Amino acid sequence: MAMLVLLLAVSLLGSGTGIVCNTKAENDDKTFIVGFDASFPPYGYQDDSGEYVGFDLDLAQEVCDRNGWTLVKQPIDWDSKDMELNSGSIDCIWNGFTMNGRESDYTWSVPYVDNSQVVIVKADSDIQKLSDMSGKVVAVQADSSALAAFTGEDATKENQALCKSFADLQQVGDYNSAFMNLESGMVDAICMDIGVAKYQLESRGAAFRMLEESVSSEQYGIGFKRGNEELRDVVQNTLFAMVQDGTFDAVAKEWGLTDCVCLADHVPDDFVAQTGDKKEQKAEGKKETAVSAENAENTGKSPVKSGFFSIVKQLGEGMLATLAIFFLTLLFSLPLGLLLTFVRMSRFRVLQWIARIYISIMRGTPLMLQLLVVFFGPYYLFHVNLPYSYRFYAVIIGFSLNYAAYFAEIFRGGIQSVPVGQREAASVLGYSRVQTFTKIIFPQMVKRVMPPVTNEVITLVKDTSLAFALAYTEMFTLAKQIAAAQTSILPLFIAGLFYYIFNFVVAFVMEGIEKKLDYYR
Amino acid sequence: MKILEMNHIKKSFDGKEVLQDISFSIEEGEVVSIIGPSGSGKSTLLRCATFLEQMDDGTLAYCEEPVVTRDEETGKISYPPRKKMREVLMDFGLVFQNFNLFPHYSVIKNVVDAPLCIQKRNREEVFKEARELLAKVGLADKENAYPCELSGGQQQRVAIARALAMKPKMLYFDEPTSALDPEITAGILKIMKQLAQEHMTMAIVTHEIDFARAVSDRVIFMDGGKIVEEGKPEDVIDHPQNERTQAFLKKLSY
Repeated sequence: MAMLVLLLAVSLLGSGTGIVCNTKAENDDKTFIVGFDASFPPYGYQDDSGEYVGFDLDLAQEVCDRNGWTLVKQPIDWDSKDMELNSGSIDCIWNGFTMNGRESDYTWSVPYVDNSQVVIVKADSDIQKLSDMSGKVVAVQADSSALAAFTGEDATKENQALCKSFADLQQVGDYNSAFMNLESGMVDAICMDIGVAKYQLESRGAAFRMLEESVSSEQYGIGFKRGNEELRDVVQNTLFAMVQDGTFDAVAKEWGLTDCVCLADHVPDDFVAQTGDKKEQKAEGKKETAVSAENAENTGKSPVKSGFFSIVKQLGEGMLATLAIFFLTLLFSLPLGLLLTFVRMSRFRVLQWIARIYISIMRGTPLMLQLLVVFFGPYYLFHVNLPYSYRFYAVIIGFSLNYAAYFAEIFRGGIQSVPVGQREAASVLGYSRVQTFTKIIFPQMVKRVMPPVTNEVITLVKDTSLAFALAYTEMFTLAKQIAAAQTSILPLFIAGLFYYIFNFVVAFVMEGIEKKLDYYR
Repeated sequence: MKILEMNHIKKSFDGKEVLQDISFSIEEGEVVSIIGPSGSGKSTLLRCATFLEQMDDGTLAYCEEPVVTRDEETGKISYPPRKKMREVLMDFGLVFQNFNLFPHYSVIKNVVDAPLCIQKRNREEVFKEARELLAKVGLADKENAYPCELSGGQQQRVAIARALAMKPKMLYFDEPTSALDPEITAGILKIMKQLAQEHMTMAIVTHEIDFARAVSDRVIFMDGGKIVEEGKPEDVIDHPQNERTQAFLKKLSY
């Protein structure tokens, strides 16, 4: 039944807000949605003022400005990037995105950064060269190019052999936790992109060092949905124009990436920017490159560590998002749960079974999986492209459907625990079914279900962090991003404090309600 | 006038026949006590009469108006629609063994809620009568208390007041004192005796034999889902003709 509600809601959203098209060229609203992993400095991350910044995002902004588009910076969960792209919820992946090994999975721009996979170890580690890593535990980011370099289809024989010699190849979610692992000795080495490595080494000081040997070299490109050459060409030509007028190198210099950028090598000789004088700009651009190469070491951005209150302020928006998920989920799941209870307790066997199966599925599968199904399901099952704002609706729908199942079972228990004599007394006094429920059974049920409902509500507070699966930036996701950008665990600690205080208030309020209902037994 | 008339009532639970072809009626103003061992079907008979159980076969009429009817050809019985049913429910009240007061309502609200919300009677009048009823059962000072603050005997008095507030044509009592101490029982029986003197029509399932003898116009002895013996209390209780009645009453006197 609730599944029907979901489908209905989904179709309403689809028809109500209009269907977003796959290619930018057909997209009327002129937004350009860039998907990126928000904990991947310096390509894309959150700075200490809470803004998403980075080399790639600056480039994307410039591309949008030149085409009259509005840039939407959409942080995504890296593991879901293909689903995001295919369902049209993002227009491209632009995020230090390694092309090697993925050549046929996307429609690629030409490479704009040449990168290598390098190894970071603790300064006092006995690992000096790649072969020393034999028997050690090595960490890589899940689905990263470092991982592909060791285990991917196109991994070299040397790298495969090297990988086999490791005690373990451990996948971590983000680089901040990789460094926490390395620092605490849980892993012996981390393999990562050179640009990221430089940034991390700079901000973390002398405790770590980089091996001189590199695991592999690779190139970054912008990934578009396969077949979307139209949008690719527009973006790529804009980038070429930016190379020619020097903007590209200026941005690279600003981010300390002058050593790695390689886009200039790929500009076709006969490329003519649509506006402006080509030759002059190209010449200026070349000059700029030469200058920036010299200054690269000194001008790279380094992270600023913020204090307690500054982090709290940065987390503020995420806290609001967490509160929104919490209250909206309660608002929808409590009535939906009651409705589901009625269906579950219906006289009709068929309805009973539908509710049973629904509850069984909702309780028997992970909430995170359900969120993914709600968000990506419309596209993969029905080929409906949902609007940008659906991300938030999907979080609320997913949470509400899941919590409704739990509430339904709690309510059913509550209703069944009201003595049968109450119903009989009401029946003999002439109360109708509806009156019996609303006046006699419901108030007594509410009192009886307060303790388990409190439990569930407290779990919900903590579960809101699962919204990260849909890359909805609630507080915990934000905390992880800030932690990554600032290479500090303080934001995570503050996030924990927030959950605790939130739950303390919830428990206090629920206890208050319980006390209010204590006037009878 | 016959307030209640039940004919050829049959009722089974899981294949076990609890009521075997019982016919039974009550005249206006009559007090009938139903006695018999546990499992004899006394309570089930009462629950069928008050629609808490659906009978399998038989007919039922209140105030000489048919309620449950039987199609002679197919042998199928039919209950009236819910709306009509709720009108019939106004004709009687039921007092339970374990009171079944609404715990989240105060004493006065327990008494006035149904007259106000179901019968839609005048508010002032209902409250005035409810207070008179509470005074009558000796709880005038408890109208704002909650059921959990009252003793079992006090709760049963409220339950009687609640049933009377609906102005029923008759009252059923289903072992009203079985959950109470002997001393408290006396108080409840006194109220019931008073109701009998006021000519309230009553059907009482009870184990209080002395009480049954004192208040009843007629006593029915049930056993094994059948009415075994029926008559004036001095006949059935003091000079039972049937062996099973004799055996039951003999056991009680020890």
